[in-house]
Amino acid sequence: MGEKNVNVSRRAFLSRASLGVVIAGAAAAVPGLGAVVRLPAAPTTTPDLPLVAEPLVAHVRDLASGEVSLMVGTDHVVLRDANLAARLYGAALARRRER
Amino acid sequence: MSSHREAPAIAKDPVADSTDLYAFVSPDAPGSVTLIANYIPLEGPDGGPNFFEFGDDVLYAIYVDNDGDAKPDVTYRFRFTTKVSNPNTFLYNTGPISSLDSPNWNRPQFYTVTRSTSRAETVIGDNLACPPCNVGPRSTPQYASLAQSAVQKLSDSHGKVFAGQRQEGFYVDLGSIFDLGALRPFQNLHLIPMAAVAGVNGTKHLSVHSIALQVPISDLTRDGTSTFSGAGDPRAAIGVWTAAYRRKALIRDEGDDVQSGPWVQVSRLGNPLFNEVIVPMSKKDQWNSVPPSADGDFLQYVQHPELARLLPVLYPGVFPNLAAASGSRDDLVAILLTGIPSGIIAGFQNFTGATTADMLRLNMAIAPSSHPSILGLVGGDAAGFPNGRRVADDVVAIELRAIAGVTYPLVNPAFTPDGAAGVIYDVEDPATNTPPVSYLGSFPYLNHPESGYEVPA
Repeated sequence: MGEKNVNVSRRAFLSRASLGVVIAGAAAAVPGLGAVVRLPAAPTTTPDLPLVAEPLVAHVRDLASGEVSLMVGTDHVVLRDANLAARLYGAALARRRER
Repeated sequence: MSSHREAPAIAKDPVADSTDLYAFVSPDAPGSVTLIANYIPLEGPDGGPNFFEFGDDVLYAIYVDNDGDAKPDVTYRFRFTTKVSNPNTFLYNTGPISSLDSPNWNRPQFYTVTRSTSRAETVIGDNLACPPCNVGPRSTPQYASLAQSAVQKLSDSHGKVFAGQRQEGFYVDLGSIFDLGALRPFQNLHLIPMAAVAGVNGTKHLSVHSIALQVPISDLTRDGTSTFSGAGDPRAAIGVWTAAYRRKALIRDEGDDVQSGPWVQVSRLGNPLFNEVIVPMSKKDQWNSVPPSADGDFLQYVQHPELARLLPVLYPGVFPNLAAASGSRDDLVAILLTGIPSGIIAGFQNFTGATTADMLRLNMAIAPSSHPSILGLVGGDAAGFPNGRRVADDVVAIELRAIAGVTYPLVNPAFTPDGAAGVIYDVEDPATNTPPVSYLGSFPYLNHPESGYEVPA
């Protein structure tokens, strides 16, 4: 503990600590998590998709296993896609750092 | 209470909280069955300016199992849509509401009814109007006729429907029974004694929101019949339950919320008091999330109900025979989970099969009683609870007495019920056969709600 940590509230400290645990744990569990931190480039083309009026909700349920829940309309699919999970998580972390 | 605020999670979500379920052969239309599912517990009639209404974001359902597998064979689904007539006022109404299409009503609510079977899913009611809440004599004059105009026919002769505010028909001494199981008329015998006094109806003056159907018997049977060979006809027994659902995902987005994903069950109700009194605290939310076909996981709580162990403790020396009984309460299993098979009670059965599931079971071959007893089957009236449930049935007294042992000899002839088991009650002595609530003589049977002006909370 250095002087720098003295003014950090307990809640903030715990929050930072747990985030570190998540990243560290994920790094250990997800192959190629380096890609998360580096935020892999988005595809340059998008597949042809029907015009969908309903929003899509994505839930990275477990980064370590790559389990992603996708909900659109009344459908719910669960994917195990470590790369997709890592990209979503990485994008969120990147935006958090920008703020 | 019957199922009001009966589990930790749903207690925080009253719009989706099922409170009571009724199923009975309609006394004034014996070729039909009335199904009523109540939601939104403990409505104070003066609960404005945003008076109570169904949830536009909730899917409500009433299920009927007619082949004994505890899975739906006939399903009625209800979806609600609220419109705002004038977005620039805070008022529920801007003048008297004299008709369901009154422009003075600022938040009219409409609904769709869908009936589905294994063969078809059909919208049998669309854009049907709910009545407003009973605000008071200036806002909702002639409330009775206004509300009655919201009884509407379903298409293709599927019966009629009503969805809206009703007076609470379920009576219970809430304040006493949750104070360590006290029954005021018998509390001189309680572990912490007080002078015996008359019971109190804790739901007096309160309202609920009812979804009521009156449908032909032939719409509910497995083969479309409406006539039976007698009470023993297995086609006559159905199981009924209600459930409410919310979408799996909710994103709060600055007034433009997003809901997505499949419907997830958040509330369920078959027999009154099942989740409330039988299921332990740690399992109540789980019970609300699973279908009746999963109730085998809760069998042990029916076989050995906690309340049967508590009564001899709370009332020392009053229930010695109950205290000494240690066997499985297969009488309660039959009443609550399978229906009562033939041969147990002369001329009666409402058995739906060996599948253990909490469903309200109704033998539709048993005609409505001309002299109903609010004690139902326990009172010698086979047309009442636990053969379905009528609006006036004293289900608290019936279930208290059953758990206390009055029905145990049906499966264990060696057991002698304690004297108190046959006389306990909480609100009014059922021997008077006079419920402390008034009802309507015809559909939707539950009475008009009291007005907010006349009954301040």
